[in-house]
Amino acid sequence: MRKGYILKESFKTWLGAIKEKFPLIAPVQDDGLTLFKEVEKVDDIVLDYGITRMPPKDLFFPQTEKMFRIKNKNNVAIELESPEKVTDELVLFGVHSCDLKSILALDPVFTTRFPDRYYQERRDKTYVIGLSCTKALPTCFCTAYGINPTDADGADVHLTELGDKYLVEVVTERGEKLAAAIPGIIFEDTTNLEAEKAKLTEKVKGEIKFIDLTGVKEVLDENFELPLWEKWAQKCLGCGICTYVCPTCHCFDINDFNRGDGVGERFRCWDSCMFSDFTRMAGGHNPRPTKKERVRNRFMHKLKYHLDRYNIVGCVGCGRCVQRCPENIDIRAIISDIKGGV
Amino acid sequence: MALENPLLPHIATITKVIDETPDVKTFQMVFDDPGVFDVFKQKPGQVAQISIFGVGEATISITSSPTRKGMLEFSIKKVGRLTSVIHQMEPGMKVGIRGPYGNHFPYEMMKGKDLLFIGGGIGLAPLRSLIDFVLAPENRQDYGKVEILYGARSSADLCFKYDLFDNWPRQPDTKVYVTIDRPEEGWDGHVGFVPAYLEELNPNPQNKVTITCGPPIMIKFVLQALEKMGYSEDQVVTTLELKMKCGIGKCGRCNIGSKFVCVDGPVFTLRELKKLPPEF
Repeated sequence: MRKGYILKESFKTWLGAIKEKFPLIAPVQDDGLTLFKEVEKVDDIVLDYGITRMPPKDLFFPQTEKMFRIKNKNNVAIELESPEKVTDELVLFGVHSCDLKSILALDPVFTTRFPDRYYQERRDKTYVIGLSCTKALPTCFCTAYGINPTDADGADVHLTELGDKYLVEVVTERGEKLAAAIPGIIFEDTTNLEAEKAKLTEKVKGEIKFIDLTGVKEVLDENFELPLWEKWAQKCLGCGICTYVCPTCHCFDINDFNRGDGVGERFRCWDSCMFSDFTRMAGGHNPRPTKKERVRNRFMHKLKYHLDRYNIVGCVGCGRCVQRCPENIDIRAIISDIKGGV
Repeated sequence: MALENPLLPHIATITKVIDETPDVKTFQMVFDDPGVFDVFKQKPGQVAQISIFGVGEATISITSSPTRKGMLEFSIKKVGRLTSVIHQMEPGMKVGIRGPYGNHFPYEMMKGKDLLFIGGGIGLAPLRSLIDFVLAPENRQDYGKVEILYGARSSADLCFKYDLFDNWPRQPDTKVYVTIDRPEEGWDGHVGFVPAYLEELNPNPQNKVTITCGPPIMIKFVLQALEKMGYSEDQVVTTLELKMKCGIGKCGRCNIGSKFVCVDGPVFTLRELKKLPPEF
């Protein structure tokens, strides 16, 4: 990993140079929300945000996306037209360490065993620039999963704001490519900056309430039935907001739209395991018939299933589900119940 | 590098429709591009996604044996939106097929063994891919005695009557036992539920593998009966049905615990099944 820095006074120029060359997606204020959006001017970029309302996953896995266009003439002549290949590279800037990790958690779902063309094409064309947190929110708990709020894991290039400079860590080959394309990084000794970064890490970690996950996986490995699922299911409305704001949830539905004359499209859209329809079969049988099974499935996915399957965390402690749940269902309290034998 | 798109179906044409029962039809399909057969290469027990363009997709088990080249057969029960539309379709019409998906029946492990198939209703459809594979002349010598126990609600609800009463009983060392749930005028065969008939037949577990598929309640009692008769958990193979959309382990809905039925299943031995949470 190569390290260097960018002087703060030239930072906007550097971002501007990126924007000249690539579409630049970064956190901006949009109607009162901080969201990852394509940037119009670099001055709009929010550098000191806590957490974006939505995770960056929709860049690779949009909420709704056309899979192909359909021309169906009375089921006798069929024409399918795939969308154009994604050819334009783009830069995703300002991703915090929890969200960086979440991209790494989604990658094995979409890029291994039957690689998903739609995801993979966008992922391959995106440069990810991470940005260390300088503060934590009350809902943050990335440290529970061994993530530090300044970790570069998942970024191609990672930045940390330290005094009058940004420490730049060029993490991947792709990052090297980006650094070569956009001049401005001064590759000089960064020993002092790294020491500053270590201090920042400790400061932000100190602001995060540590959730100890010791033993949680083991309890879930051994126990499918626990009274706590019924307890939390009673609160749950089944609205699914937790799954929509979750950076690692990847469930989707596939549907056909037909405008009436056989012309239409097949599209996929985000779906949620919190809905009863999600698993209900045409014949009526439903393996997860009540909220208890559905709540259990979601939290088991976060704390066990994803880890079992891909050997990477299924939750990154971003706290979005905690912020957004209308019933204050808090995964940290569920973890505490699991540990407390509820 | 150009990426292939596993979610893009191959166009196929329906070449034959067989009325099996009042609500089950078997559709024979052929890929419009014959080259697709060379890459499709399904194994017994695998499933595919059938598209009706403008309506959607459904996961259907491939009922024909891979030993029957140049076509695929799907037996489809009319239960929902898509299956109701496909039931109105006729030879010459086009559909989409993508797959094959999932694991397959462990036909290698079954070599040298006697086989007992236990099916109920439309559950015979996935078993048929293996039955016809085993009975195919090129494979028959690899397997011992073949017994098929099958039941349906009534005689009209029996699928694959041409196999049950004609093709299969004519095969060497093959026996077919058929039962219906309730007595019926003109029916002189066995009457009673499949698990009860199984206990009555009381087949010896020695050197035998059983393969079962049917309604969940039938599977439950069949598994209980087999264990009572002394079958080990490795001698009992079943195939599950869950709602699927993508078929490739991504859309999230067919999980049982950490397993996705579309890629890790649908075929499980009883030993594997017992390691899964009871959520299917």
